[in-house]
Amino acid sequence: MHAAARGDRPVAPRPGALETLLDRVSRGDQQAFETVYSAVAGPVLGLVRRLLRDPAQSEEVAQEVLVEVWRSAARFDPDRGSAMSWIMTLAHRRAVDRVRSAQAATDREHRAAVRDHTPAYDEVSEQVERRLEREQVRRCLGSLTELQRESVLLAYYRGCTYQETADLLGAALGTVKTRLRDGLIRLRDCLGVTS
Amino acid sequence: MTSADLHTLTGAYALHALSDRESEEFARHLAVCPSCAQEVRELQETAARLGLAAAEVPTPEFRARVMAALPEVRQLPPLVPEASDLSSWRLRRLRWQRRMPQLAVAACLLIALVAGGIAVNAQHEATQQRSRTAQVEQQAEALSALLAAPDASFRTGAVKGGGSSTVVTSRALGQTAFVYHGLPLLPDAHVYELWFSKGGQMVPAGLVPATPAAGAQVLAGAQLLVGTSNGAAGVGVTVEPAGGSPKPTSAPVMLVSI
Repeated sequence: MHAAARGDRPVAPRPGALETLLDRVSRGDQQAFETVYSAVAGPVLGLVRRLLRDPAQSEEVAQEVLVEVWRSAARFDPDRGSAMSWIMTLAHRRAVDRVRSAQAATDREHRAAVRDHTPAYDEVSEQVERRLEREQVRRCLGSLTELQRESVLLAYYRGCTYQETADLLGAALGTVKTRLRDGLIRLRDCLGVTS
Repeated sequence: MTSADLHTLTGAYALHALSDRESEEFARHLAVCPSCAQEVRELQETAARLGLAAAEVPTPEFRARVMAALPEVRQLPPLVPEASDLSSWRLRRLRWQRRMPQLAVAACLLIALVAGGIAVNAQHEATQQRSRTAQVEQQAEALSALLAAPDASFRTGAVKGGGSSTVVTSRALGQTAFVYHGLPLLPDAHVYELWFSKGGQMVPAGLVPATPAAGAQVLAGAQLLVGTSNGAAGVGVTVEPAGGSPKPTSAPVMLVSI
């Protein structure tokens, strides 16, 4: 996670630093929030845009997420994971909710679009490949089987449910559930994630 | 869905790839499956890495909009008040848990006192009833303020001869209450007298009412001590001749430091 700080991210928080900052944020410390912002705004906006694509809507949702971090910093529980994971999970959840509420409005068209959209993986993969600044993540994604990688990328960067993922990949539901899990486990081990 | 089936959902759950209904069902499962919860934590950390890999550089305008939104937002309080750090938070929670049973006992006794007092009064003359009811109500009000004081401390002590008691003290209010249960009735012409221990001296702090609740063979209730608890190191109880004594004439049947 700290390696992720290289490149365009201006702040590289030390382990535990973000957690300490969140504690200060929870007590209304705006200066602490500005440091948190520097560390997380880029990843939050990037992830939300990956899911929503529309730039204006992405900024709107990313802003909601960052304001939510300010609002509920006191509810962050370090026993349940890192601060970065808490914030990125929040961002992913919000973006996925937005994707699905838009889908619900035009569900019929969406289903049709998803079915017709055969090169889904190629497109996602290309975007991700183009955007991935992180050599390590790219390398580790490469260590997954094709079905693991496609499943994980469609679920995470497109906000697809496992049913939709199975639909898109023409795989059985049970297979996709399993691939999402063992794909992430392989990624976890390759990235050396601990919790 | 079997438990083994549920366990395979950790990945889909961490990626928000379940339907709302399935997600809620799985969240309930997490509460009873620590190994699943641990795996979900790790897979969420892993997914966050995918998110970090997608980082972009926000515009200065975006930053300005976020910062401008903050003053409009009311921050959520911590789940426990004044949780400045985890260790003091845990300590406070522990303290609170420790004092809960005592608080419950004290509250029950308080209710018993008020109810008992009013029942006794029903047998008295109307004027007496009014004045005693007012007195009981006043006591009850003072006692509940004391029990609810944020700095209230609770010291439990056994009473020699039978019964138990809790001494409740608030430094902020400068008040102390003696909450007692199961005190044996004393022979006629004797009373329980309360004392503050101040600077090595026993200072009289009132008498425990000698009338048991209707039908009871023991004394129970809560009594506010007379005088301020400021400067007191302890509270004691002795058995004294009716009317009380200016100095203790016997060894205390109960003594606690406050």
